[in-house]
Amino acid sequence: MGRRLAVCAVAQIKNHPNYHYLRFQNMLLDCFEPIMEQTQATFDMETGIRTIITCSDDVFDARTISDNGITDVVGAHFRGEEKIAQESINGLGYAMACILSGHDDVILFMGHCKESQGESRRMVSNLAYDPFYCRPLGMDYHNVAALQARAYMEKSQITDAQLAKIVVRSRKNGAKNPYGRENKLVDEEEVLNSPLYSDPLRELHLYPVTDWAYGMLLCSEERAAEFTKNPVWITGYGSCMDRYFMGDRDLASNFSLKNAAQRAYAMAGIKDPRKEIQLFELADQAAYQLPMWAEGVGIADEGQGGQWIDEGGMETFNVNLSGGQLNGNPLLLGGAARVIECYYQLSRQAGERQVENAKRAVAQAATGGAGQHQAVIVMETQGG
Amino acid sequence: MAEYWGVTVADIFNSMPERFRPEGAKDVEAVFGYDIKDEGKWQLTVKNNAMTLAKTDDLSHCVATMAADGETFVGVNVGKVDATNAFISGKFRIEGDMAAFGKTGRLFRKFVLAKKEMTTREYLADMFATIVPRFKAQEAEGLEASFAFDLGGAEGGQWSVFIKDKACTVTTTIEGKPTVTLEFNDARDYVDFILGKIDAQSILAAGKAAAKGDINMMASKWPLLFEKYKDPLAGNVQEQELLTLKKTISINQRFATGPVMGKFLRGLKDKKIYANKCPRCGRLQLPPREVCAECRVRAAEFVEVGPKGEVRYMDVVYYALPDPLTGVARETPYGSINILLDGCKGNETLPHFIRKDQIEKIQAGWNENKGTRVRPVWEENRSGDIWDIKYFEIDE
Repeated sequence: MGRRLAVCAVAQIKNHPNYHYLRFQNMLLDCFEPIMEQTQATFDMETGIRTIITCSDDVFDARTISDNGITDVVGAHFRGEEKIAQESINGLGYAMACILSGHDDVILFMGHCKESQGESRRMVSNLAYDPFYCRPLGMDYHNVAALQARAYMEKSQITDAQLAKIVVRSRKNGAKNPYGRENKLVDEEEVLNSPLYSDPLRELHLYPVTDWAYGMLLCSEERAAEFTKNPVWITGYGSCMDRYFMGDRDLASNFSLKNAAQRAYAMAGIKDPRKEIQLFELADQAAYQLPMWAEGVGIADEGQGGQWIDEGGMETFNVNLSGGQLNGNPLLLGGAARVIECYYQLSRQAGERQVENAKRAVAQAATGGAGQHQAVIVMETQGG
Repeated sequence: MAEYWGVTVADIFNSMPERFRPEGAKDVEAVFGYDIKDEGKWQLTVKNNAMTLAKTDDLSHCVATMAADGETFVGVNVGKVDATNAFISGKFRIEGDMAAFGKTGRLFRKFVLAKKEMTTREYLADMFATIVPRFKAQEAEGLEASFAFDLGGAEGGQWSVFIKDKACTVTTTIEGKPTVTLEFNDARDYVDFILGKIDAQSILAAGKAAAKGDINMMASKWPLLFEKYKDPLAGNVQEQELLTLKKTISINQRFATGPVMGKFLRGLKDKKIYANKCPRCGRLQLPPREVCAECRVRAAEFVEVGPKGEVRYMDVVYYALPDPLTGVARETPYGSINILLDGCKGNETLPHFIRKDQIEKIQAGWNENKGTRVRPVWEENRSGDIWDIKYFEIDE
């Protein structure tokens, strides 16, 4: 039994503001077929795919047990099918547990989210809160993020101008990503004049509503060669769930991300992430989170996020060359999007975004109000 | 602690907070004492329409103190001892300001002696007798309304509750034209309803009760106007209020039909029923889905089937939930059927409804036995949804 999980192939559709002409079943099918074609994997009960992990959300899909509606288009009939109803990165943690424990050795991992289907994503995230107290107060991921933004910006001396810089860069990078959501390129002035949603968060500081789906074929170290010549390895995974009730948390502390990162680094044997990792994909659902998570994964000094931006930290550490979450992924699937970018980079398929010396990469995902839950994945190339 | 008529001195004091009537304490600001022989001393502080009660050793600062033995104190409170006689015979005495102590009579609702059982008649008497004390005048600003109760059965009767000028009166007749009338075939159901043993929906649905007139006045306003009735048999123990939150969670959705379901729904507009066919196993799917899940391949070929067919499965639905998309309840009973349309085989069936008046005549079929032949009845104005077919009917 190995210590690594192989990512043999990935497939995705382009991130899009509104696939009004597709059901999410159609979106998934467009990912399922390329995976099967790339890997020539089968559904043979002895040697093929016996376990399918899916990621979807009941509220976004407006049906209970959302995976019921998609088992046919992900090949899951008459197989084991398990759903992650949380950040997609946890599906990889789950797949890793499944494979490293020897329970199974080939897993198809599919996810979808059609954020455009519902009237308002804020109504969805409002439902994350308890119905008696926090929900009536109108808490949702945006205005709760704003509480964290203000606390963190004060702690790390982040300015509105720096946030504008992050947004402008995200869209420039996103434009180079063939699967990136097509957004209008903006300049810093436009970001600074963008309407305030919840002070200090502006409209352009927030990731846009996006529809997307993806697929991955994952397998044990021993079987990787059957499906690809060029596997990328997941060598570390760590996750941490912070307290649910906002009042219990120090919002600017990065508590859960630091924990998750330490666990992932320990598993992958990494001592100094600044030296040993060449590429970081961070879950910047809002612009302020990019430097905050950079502190959390250890590439910016504690409380120095503002200075880190000014000193070119985003370029030094190759952060979010894909455009990041900020350019547009469904909230639920940010982790998978980050992992897929790392896969492209480490397998030398990143086109004009390619980082030449990329051997190790980190993908991070956050979900829950103000990054309550955090997970970090370390990925490596063949030689890594 | 000694019991008198099944009640202790502590029961009387412990129930005081629950029996307290703020409206009776409007002009009272005083500390009253109770010195009960062999039981102890209590002080009752009334201020700002609220009360506190404490055990104490020192009653010297009280404006008035009642001194009695336990039996007299309990007896007066539960109505077993006549207060005037007891006072004249010296069984209890008031020390201090007698006139001030007189105000304590208005501060509390009566202590009701818990019985083991109460008849419907006794419940009704207690329910209507407590209407005025339970009335919340501040909720009746500008309201003039009359509520009539016509409760049938051997133990039933008629009552009217009038509200005018923030005052409430009760009569045992129904006169004139009430704002709203609540009728129960059997008064026992009304008692159970008030006690929370059965809910209004199921009594109304069963036709055992009816509300006439301004129903909203009864459903929405009545609960605000009156404190909830407390069951005397609940033992005078303060019940925990059950707080619940009623919310309808609703986020508008715009569902895409996609190219496959879209093709099927578009066909219905033209009175055509399309199945899609697996290129590998030849199986048909109704309604069509993107892939043949068994062969894991796209099923892009569409085949027109039916529109006539034979019934495969059928059941009769008597209890229907409201349509979650529209909130409209379906009329029951209705016949739910799966039809094997002409051109389909095996399990390639389409679910729909059968014409209501033909439910009894349907014979479900299986492989060896043909089911009843049916044909679709189309909606005149079709919009591309499942109800473009109104239902199926027997093909005669």
